Amino acid sequence: MSTAASLHQSRKRKNAVMMTLCVIAAGIGLAWLALILGALLYKGLSGVNLAVFTEMTPPPGDAGGLLNAIYGSIVMTIIGIIVGTPIGVLAGTYMAEYGRFSKLTTVVRFINDILLSAPSIIIGLFVYELMVRPMGHFSAIAGAVALAILVIPVVVRTTEDMLNLVPNALREAGTAIGAPRWVVIRSVAYRAALSGIVTGILLAIARISGETAPLLFTALNNQFWSSNLNAPMASLPVTIFQFALSPYEEWQQLAWTGALIITLTVLGLSIFARSLTGRREDR
Amino acid sequence: MKPMLSTELNTPEVVVEKAKIEVRNLNFYYGQSKALKDINLSLPERSVTAFIGPSGCGKSTLLRVLNRIYELYPKQSAEGQVLLDGKNILDRSQDLNLLRTKIGMVFQKPTPFPMSIYENIAFGVRLYEKISKSEMDGRVEQALKRAALWTEVKDKLNASGLSLSGGQQQRLCIARTVAVKPEVILLDEPASALDPLSTAKIEELIDELQADYTIVIVTHNMQQAARVSKQTAFMYLGELVEFDRTEKIFTSPREKRTQDYITGRFG
Repeated sequence: MSTAASLHQSRKRKNAVMMTLCVIAAGIGLAWLALILGALLYKGLSGVNLAVFTEMTPPPGDAGGLLNAIYGSIVMTIIGIIVGTPIGVLAGTYMAEYGRFSKLTTVVRFINDILLSAPSIIIGLFVYELMVRPMGHFSAIAGAVALAILVIPVVVRTTEDMLNLVPNALREAGTAIGAPRWVVIRSVAYRAALSGIVTGILLAIARISGETAPLLFTALNNQFWSSNLNAPMASLPVTIFQFALSPYEEWQQLAWTGALIITLTVLGLSIFARSLTGRREDR
Repeated sequence: MKPMLSTELNTPEVVVEKAKIEVRNLNFYYGQSKALKDINLSLPERSVTAFIGPSGCGKSTLLRVLNRIYELYPKQSAEGQVLLDGKNILDRSQDLNLLRTKIGMVFQKPTPFPMSIYENIAFGVRLYEKISKSEMDGRVEQALKRAALWTEVKDKLNASGLSLSGGQQQRLCIARTVAVKPEVILLDEPASALDPLSTAKIEELIDELQADYTIVIVTHNMQQAARVSKQTAFMYLGELVEFDRTEKIFTSPREKRTQDYITGRFG
């Protein structure tokens, strides 16, 4: 009896120690997040006004806004998504449906995972060599291509994972009723996996809307309004980078505000993505 | 146990007036391992045939050969012949999608498509027929009535198929299968995931459907086989041990292994 009791005591002690350590670790993680969000809100919120959304980035020492940067970010993100999503979804479809049992799929998955974790600055350099140097100048389209390359692995991964979650029984049922494979994929598998695939796309948007490094080498920046895709274009992350490092107070303020805008946008997208997956699980 | 010759094992006692499906010397492989060994069997038209046997005996495998659904997976292969109305469906030239419109299948777990009740049924019909909206409405109603589901769902045809109960979902799957007007319906343990009441409904349905369709049912439940089928095939370790009138199998089987299985000595 006494051994059992002392064992119980020592287990309880170990449990208490482990739990304390876990709580502290979780607390440290959350604390940084709270500090960052707090600082962003504190410094950024004071700079939010109508001018931010209606005026161009100002020269040093002047008041102004972020309109051209916001516009550039939206345009390049949209093009990046439009280019990257179909490639990603189709590749993911191949891996989960047509090539589920093939060697090629294993290879593609491995390479895709490398691409997924590749530093984005390398993607930027790659597109710089691929497009910027031959064209002779920075351009929004090169920026969009760099973002598209970042989108692809994210969408491939989520599309494959979500399609793999669709029970085989459902595919068999579609097949058993006489539907050709592509109809089964389109009308049964895609439908069943839709919210998951959309979530992947939203996560990809969230990821690229905050990318700075690939844009530095491709779209560069622009102090003025430009909707020309063949010319350098401003974007929020690059503008933040430039303004935050500057000695001018107005620029620094705009950098904080821009950072707040990006963070809130990404936060909103993530919550939306979460709610989509959540609804899926409820069902 | 003394090994018996396969010819001895596979001599069917059922007198088949008109065979809808004839299985001849069928072998089936999962990669290297042989799952079905020289199966010979005739399934009579417009009648219910049950496949029984312990888990892993090959009864589901045999069923999955009949509409070639196994071909979704690599490394599974069949050799021999399966004649549907005299034509070998294992032939390479056989169009698989057309074959599956003739031979429908209902699975163990209800598998409604992620779409409305109406669409679940219209989906299969639309694949091979171009019909007007009103004709389609008629087809959907007819199929749902056939599956004894119409009165329960007629006011919510636009609701998701997933919103139905398990038993209703399974009847929806049967309705969906019936709607494309197959000749043969394969049922792979259709009631094993259902409660007794839903099971009774499904069995009643099978009884009604045999007037128009050739039905093959795989079941773990021997009472169910006894209740719904006209003839029963007992399988064990990939072999067809005995195939006879259901009555005979359950009262005076020829084989000792059949006797042992139905009296619950193993399996």
